[in-house]
Amino acid sequence: MLFGFFPGAPKFGHGPFKSQASRDLAGLERGCRKALASAVMAAARLSRGFAKVAKTRSSREVKEAEDSAPVFQYVGERSKRKDRVFVWGFCHAGALGIPSFVKPDASWKKRRRIQPTPYRLDTAEKISSAACGYGFTLISSKTTDITKVWGMGLNKDSQLGFQRSRKDQTKGYEYVLEPSPIPLPLDTPQETRILQVSCGRAHSLILTDKEGVFSMGNNSYGQCGRKVTEGEIYSESHLIHRLQKFKGRVAQIVCGQDHSLFRTERGEVYSCGWGADGQTGLGHYNITSVPTKLGGDIAGVNIVHVATYGDSCLAVSDEGDLFGWGNSEYLQLASITETTQVNVPRHLPFKIGKIKDAACGGTGNAVVNEEGNVFVWGYGILGKGPNLMETATPEMIPPTLFGLSDFSPDTRVSRICCGLSQFAALNNRGELFMWGKNIRGSLGIGRMEDQYFPWRVTIPGEVVDVACGVDHMVTLVKSFI
Amino acid sequence: MAAGRAARTRLNGLFAVYKPPGVASIRVRDTLETLLLKELNSLEQPTVPQQVRFLPTTVEGNAGKELTLTVTQLPVLAAHPLVKGPEFTHLKIGAGHRLDTKSSGVFVLGVGHGNKLLTDMYNAHLTRVCSGTEPVWGLLCVTPILTRNQGQAYTVRGLFGKATDDFSDTGRLIEKTTFDHITGDKLERILAVIQGTNHKALLMYSNIDLKTQEAYELAVEGLIRPMEKTPPLITAIRCLQFAPPEFQLEIQCVHETQQYLRKIVHEIGLELKSTAVCTQVRRIRDGFFTLDNALPRTHWNLQNIRNSIKDSKIKVKVGLQRSLSHQARSGKRHTDMDQVAESELHSTEGTSASDLTQNEITTC
Repeated sequence: MLFGFFPGAPKFGHGPFKSQASRDLAGLERGCRKALASAVMAAARLSRGFAKVAKTRSSREVKEAEDSAPVFQYVGERSKRKDRVFVWGFCHAGALGIPSFVKPDASWKKRRRIQPTPYRLDTAEKISSAACGYGFTLISSKTTDITKVWGMGLNKDSQLGFQRSRKDQTKGYEYVLEPSPIPLPLDTPQETRILQVSCGRAHSLILTDKEGVFSMGNNSYGQCGRKVTEGEIYSESHLIHRLQKFKGRVAQIVCGQDHSLFRTERGEVYSCGWGADGQTGLGHYNITSVPTKLGGDIAGVNIVHVATYGDSCLAVSDEGDLFGWGNSEYLQLASITETTQVNVPRHLPFKIGKIKDAACGGTGNAVVNEEGNVFVWGYGILGKGPNLMETATPEMIPPTLFGLSDFSPDTRVSRICCGLSQFAALNNRGELFMWGKNIRGSLGIGRMEDQYFPWRVTIPGEVVDVACGVDHMVTLVKSFI
Repeated sequence: MAAGRAARTRLNGLFAVYKPPGVASIRVRDTLETLLLKELNSLEQPTVPQQVRFLPTTVEGNAGKELTLTVTQLPVLAAHPLVKGPEFTHLKIGAGHRLDTKSSGVFVLGVGHGNKLLTDMYNAHLTRVCSGTEPVWGLLCVTPILTRNQGQAYTVRGLFGKATDDFSDTGRLIEKTTFDHITGDKLERILAVIQGTNHKALLMYSNIDLKTQEAYELAVEGLIRPMEKTPPLITAIRCLQFAPPEFQLEIQCVHETQQYLRKIVHEIGLELKSTAVCTQVRRIRDGFFTLDNALPRTHWNLQNIRNSIKDSKIKVKVGLQRSLSHQARSGKRHTDMDQVAESELHSTEGTSASDLTQNEITTC
């Protein structure tokens, strides 16, 4: 590095390097070091002649220097807020979509079993809908590109479609570690848009705007809406079934553990799948393999929202009434009946105001009324401290736990979502609150303990949507600026 | 003499002054001490005691000059003020939460026995009282809410577009940025996040087992407050005025320093993808004392200070007793005993009110 630096320094010639070379090198080094030292001193002598002593600058000089300083622009005047996806929870199945958690790509990285705090997932497109199943995740975008849905996580029942393995072209992947496109058999792939995705235990549903509902995955109870074939092998299956025989357009799809619910624009609800707990609501306890309309107390009622995740279901009408059916072993429907399975939708006459949003977990239910208050009932960690472990009638969670304070008196809860044993609430300021059992870090609060009252999850952005799973979660977030 | 001494013994208690910016708080304390001493010394009657002396004098007697003793009254020079010096040379004045040189606002001081109350105030934690108005953007401004929360409340003024090395507008310029993309609701969003994370930190630092029913009830009431040493925590923050490039925030915080508040302004600027400097930090409340109780520079004299001490005496006493009972409650809580029943709490408040009347008689 010293060679060629100073014009006076000896250059290394093209001669052969022999034993003398080392001595030469040392001699050269010493010579160069001397040359370097003398050059530095010469430079110092030279610079001393040019340099001026630093004076204290007058305030006018300081002001002039400040005014002439360059102005940096980091963000334009009309910059748009960016959409991001944050994930957290159990990593081993690959459900979070970050491959380095399972297969580290650098030597200093270690395999991560749990991601306890929100971690950003980089996606190619803006994600409009996300759903968490039992060990897998689906994310979808409203784009007209050919790739609209991506899946990651467990694929042993082809709940993510057929993911061709790169090592062996005839086999499929059992675990998908990063968001991989799901090939949907669309008629018009460049016009159809995906509105919503939903995931159950081992099956998934995809709702499109023009081509009905697509279902894939396990069908042993008819939850995919097609006839149950005995001895069917669900892993590495290419079969994606399309459901179009609904009266009217389907507006919302939800998956329970082994059943599926479809809500049409007309306000009717259809269901198929396992019914041993009455979760299909069709009046019997058998499996249904074709989507059938529900009756009972919701016949003729305009339903605007359905919710389920385990084996019990809730429906909200446009007038704010609440209907429930399915499993009632955990006091979910104990306010109206003593039976532990209810197979026909029944009206729940709670006096808690007009219901705006409802969510069903595995053992507990939660609703949000018009004023933004959250009511919980059922069994388990309900959110009012360790003393309240079960109740048949809804109990309100004080709004101060959701960010209501003197300085922000108009903070309201706008959405509620349930995982299997966790609750998530979004308030109108875009803050996410979680409580419930902290199964493998699914609460995202950074600790591994259960949380008995709503706890704020710090996410660098305004949370727009949240999807809860059994042991992981996905949130759709807009950046602040 | 008596008047001065009496005034000196009666001068005990806490009072607040308005510290102007640009002067160190220690200098304010020294100035007040000097002023008070000057006034106390001027209350002294400059009478010098007289003594009766029998002085030898020569008197024309029978056999010429004779030595006799004559009675004279002479002043006692040892008691002359020019020899003795002023009566009062030192007053015990202690400063409460100090303010740094560039900031201004309520500065609490204690004189005499009031210094003992200063330590109590330092450890005091008050319960919350609500009142509020909605913030409005643009040129309209909002009066700061003086909710009686724990700790201190400040109004902080900031300026977008500049970043300096000490986060204030008098520092060396580091960078200039554009700020035309900043709107009121973006600022509001950032402030909500700051408040949320600090609220979470409050719960984390309060050393309560979050799995207990007690923790839930305290979180609902908002009474979870850190009792021990913690890093600076902001309990509430909101925007009072927003007129780019200027903005004004109201911040309520505990265990803070003014430089920390300037750093918060700088960080708000960074979060908004621009830069900001702090132009003014002004404390509007410190514990029980607000801007209304703080004495301006023209009112720094003995009479005003005495009135101020008298006015705040009751408030301070009631507040400290309530907070000490709250601390006792929390002390019991931390040793895992059962919660103090509501009736017990009311009974302690009752005794403090009755104790108050008795103590008023003894100290006054």
